[in-house]
Amino acid sequence: MDHLTALENKSIFIIREAYFRFRNIAMLWSVGKDSTTLLWLVRKAFFGEVPFPIIHIDTTYKFPEMYRFRDEYAKKWGLNLIVGRNEGQVEAGMGPGKGTKLDCCNELKTNALKQIIEKNGFKALLLGIRRDEHGIRAKERVFSPRDENFKWDYENQPAELWDQYKSTAAEDNHFRVHPILHMTELDIWKYMKREKIPLTELYLSKNGKRYRSIGCAPCCSPIESTASNVDEIIAELESTHTSERAGRAQDKEDAYTMQKLRSLGYM
Amino acid sequence: MTMDLSKKVFVLGIDGAPETLLAEYVEQGVMPNLKNILSGGYDLVQMDASIPDVSSTSWASFMTGVNPGEHGIYGFMELLPNTYRLTFPNYASVKAPALWDIIGGTSGIKASTLADKFKGRVPNNLRSIVINMPETFPAPALNGVLTSGFVCPDLKKGTYPESAYEYLRSINYIMDIEASNASDKPDAFFDEALLALNKRAEAFLHFMDNERWDLFIGVVTETDRLHHFFFDAARDKTHKYHERFVFFYTRMDDIIGRVFERFMASTNGRGLFMTMSDHGFAPIRKEVYLNRLFVEKGLLTLDPAREYFEQIGAGSKAFVMDPGRIYINFEGRYPGGAVSARDRSSVVNEIKSILIDLKDSDGNAVINRVYDGTELYSGDESARSPDLVAVGNDGFDIKGNIKKPQAFGTSHFRGMHTRHDAHCVMPSGTAPLGRLHIENIASIILERFI
Amino acid sequence: MEERALHIVIVGSVDHGKSTLIGRLFFDSGSLPPEKLAEIKRVCEELGRPLEFAYVMDNLEEERTRGITIDIAHTFFTTPKRKYVIIDAPGHKEFLKNMISGSSQAEAAILLVEITRGIQEQTLRHCYILSLLGIKQVAVTVNKMDLVGYSEAAFLDLKKRIEEVTMKYGITPSYIIPISAMEGENVAKASEKLSWYKGPTVLEALDNFEEMKIEEKGARFPVQDTYEISGQKIVAGRIEAGRLREGQELWVLPGKTKAKVASIKKYLEPDLKEAQTGECVGLILEGVDVKRGDILSETLSPTITRTVHANIFWMIDKDYKLGIPLTFKCATQEARGKIERIRRSFDPASEKEAVTDAVSISQAEVAEVDITLSAEVAIERFSDIPELGRFVLEHDGRPVAGGIII
Repeated sequence: MDHLTALENKSIFIIREAYFRFRNIAMLWSVGKDSTTLLWLVRKAFFGEVPFPIIHIDTTYKFPEMYRFRDEYAKKWGLNLIVGRNEGQVEAGMGPGKGTKLDCCNELKTNALKQIIEKNGFKALLLGIRRDEHGIRAKERVFSPRDENFKWDYENQPAELWDQYKSTAAEDNHFRVHPILHMTELDIWKYMKREKIPLTELYLSKNGKRYRSIGCAPCCSPIESTASNVDEIIAELESTHTSERAGRAQDKEDAYTMQKLRSLGYM
Repeated sequence: MTMDLSKKVFVLGIDGAPETLLAEYVEQGVMPNLKNILSGGYDLVQMDASIPDVSSTSWASFMTGVNPGEHGIYGFMELLPNTYRLTFPNYASVKAPALWDIIGGTSGIKASTLADKFKGRVPNNLRSIVINMPETFPAPALNGVLTSGFVCPDLKKGTYPESAYEYLRSINYIMDIEASNASDKPDAFFDEALLALNKRAEAFLHFMDNERWDLFIGVVTETDRLHHFFFDAARDKTHKYHERFVFFYTRMDDIIGRVFERFMASTNGRGLFMTMSDHGFAPIRKEVYLNRLFVEKGLLTLDPAREYFEQIGAGSKAFVMDPGRIYINFEGRYPGGAVSARDRSSVVNEIKSILIDLKDSDGNAVINRVYDGTELYSGDESARSPDLVAVGNDGFDIKGNIKKPQAFGTSHFRGMHTRHDAHCVMPSGTAPLGRLHIENIASIILERFI
Repeated sequence: MEERALHIVIVGSVDHGKSTLIGRLFFDSGSLPPEKLAEIKRVCEELGRPLEFAYVMDNLEEERTRGITIDIAHTFFTTPKRKYVIIDAPGHKEFLKNMISGSSQAEAAILLVEITRGIQEQTLRHCYILSLLGIKQVAVTVNKMDLVGYSEAAFLDLKKRIEEVTMKYGITPSYIIPISAMEGENVAKASEKLSWYKGPTVLEALDNFEEMKIEEKGARFPVQDTYEISGQKIVAGRIEAGRLREGQELWVLPGKTKAKVASIKKYLEPDLKEAQTGECVGLILEGVDVKRGDILSETLSPTITRTVHANIFWMIDKDYKLGIPLTFKCATQEARGKIERIRRSFDPASEKEAVTDAVSISQAEVAEVDITLSAEVAIERFSDIPELGRFVLEHDGRPVAGGIII
């Protein structure tokens, strides 16, 4: 079994585990590449259907392309789309210009999500996070219990082995389930390519820039890139796969290059 | 499906191999295989390299078939925009599609006059094998296999796909030999050069046999290394390393013979075979440090407390980067820019007259010609081009070194690049009319795939 | 070159030269990027020490703990034959809880013993864990042979002890190799100083190991869930052994009824006639209604039982006392139960005798137990079908132990 197929099967197994266990679940869809890939896997897990609601948290600051993409595929794929908005705060004018960025995220994202979970009584949420996104993610489990304050006690997590995911304990308010935790950024792109998963054009280079991740327009900045299709993004990532530590890697490459050029009399 | 065996091209790149030296070695019997090829309907043609005649620029001109004004590579180093800080262009800086992109359907958003010319006329699904091609790091995801040549700081990042990297690792492939051995451990240097040559040949033959391909470009760079340090041994029979130098060429000749034979056997003699080099070589009489000359002539001030080009002082009019790229210190282009655009022609004239008058202590003219960037380059990347390029007469190696105390000097280097003495071996009648230029080769190759 | 990497776990304490061995493997297999080697050389030079291969591991460790991205490539090394992934397994007590899951994926192990120290407590624990996890391909390396002047007699003495101990734990080492990781003797190249040893080097031994193959076994399909989609009942699950084919007849366990595969479903793959181990598929079955936890099996070889005889390792810091209720989870089966009898329990790292017929199990202890369940389950020996031979025990919704059916 090839690498991408193995990753896919692992994800589908987890999605079906979560659906069996909780039934009353939902998936968080940011319209970005990771959660769109997750949505694709959900459709595969349930033979083209999506048997639970898909939540999109609308801060009202998303890119217009994202709203368009969301509506197009919500319709095409027959999604039961719940758009979550913290109306009180939106009306009160909360935004990146008002208060700190953290306040803005907290009100328009976290609290909007809390309201939806409470209102619908969801027992678990599927999230498209990846282990390689951030250091702290390396500690994540596939089934991650949260208490009622959304707190994640990462220092004291249960063991997780042999695809046996933790059952619900008394203190567990709801679960975050991470079916693509084992995928890397590059895996995602290669899988999107193989499966021809649609994506918003924000990821593709326009005027020498593209977005590597997308969210609220005021808080996203594009990267320099000429990659204008998925193949080129893959090539770009493969050639700069250490980019998150790019500074150090670049220094080393430069030092090597300088030594080489000097040895041939060029410096 | 029957394959048209004539639509297969093999190019053997021999970095820095001069037409004149090859002709002599063929004549003297040092290169019997090449002699054999030449007597069987092939010509050894002298060819012009790019300006400047530095490997990164010349190979980029070869692989894209366009001038630096389109492909954007003017040398091994550049300054970061609006600074005097060094940066090292790599394949990401090559703005025009390479041969393998044009025939492999991987041009993406890259475009060039050459690609336009052949658009729709050549297939876009052909596979290329490219081994040790300078200025291709990090390796692109092409339709085929590529491993980068000089400068390649990391074989893994320099090789596509990963299976090719694994193969190269398994044969202990040598990315580049340790040139710093040349002066204090010359025997080790020759040994390693031969070993690296063998590894390249091993890789060529492996990929020739084990991959499907339409275009194969295999490059040997050890010749260039040898020439830099031992070109004086090429013809001097009394030189201590003459025999080793010649022996290296006999091995090179073996390899030419082996790949030629194998290629011809696999194409029933109908494929297009070429060898070529990115520039020629000549013995060095003097190294010429133009930055020092500019200091002496009051065009440049330097702050020795700083590093490299950050030494350039406020008020400087111009400076030089390897090999003879002259940049005017324009306002708005550099932090210490002192020349306004309207003064360009007066500064250009001042520099030209200084350079054209330049003579060594024996009264020999140093500079062959000073080109204006605007006459040399055209295309989207020409705005970044050097303002002038000085090309030296044979024997005078023009340098951009910024730390030399005199304008003339000598060092442990024994060979310098020349623009006029690159070579190309190609079937008789293939060369276009007039003098062959390295930018012509890509067209010759693409014509084959029509 | 084989495409898939072989996962190996290296067990042994730092004093036994584990870091040095790993560094050597990276270096001698040519897997160390030149700039990394240069950096390590420079560090050693600055410190005025000879090149110390332990730095390779430290260097990798540093990158890993600095974390951010876990650069998997750095835990790989390559021989001309294949890639290897090194699973690091620290010797501490926490090993059980945090690392067993990682090591359970290992297909082969290198057990490291130091010539002057011989078999130690930790060695015993390591042997036990290897045997518990069912890792059959084991190479024992006897390190630091340079400290005893590469003496054959010293090696043969220790080799005898190693054979005794490993036999006791049910491991048969494929190779016992005298090495000096520091000097690079017998790691990648055969040692002249150890010319009396005729066996393979460490790298040769690794290359001789085999990947866990998807063996052609009878099909096993634990039912994960059932869905009604477009009026059809689809039985979802992952094939844990063998392959499924359209038209195939299967036993439904533990009830021992029979069902027939009418068709195999995967989204966007119509006309699927067959599926293999590891694939998540949907089945349309004829003949019987099934539910989660049922095991579809090509043969009747699984044991149908309410009593499970197993080795378990206790992962939490609260002790287990006989009779405390537990949940048994094996593949998609789940049953309530309790440990009826603790035949033996012991800390594999301690020299204390095992307690027979114990009444409790503590953290990091291993026990051979009988578990009784409130319902029948279909199980197999771990060595036969791993997915039906291993299980997790939970208490109050928290995993407390992992186990292997013997």
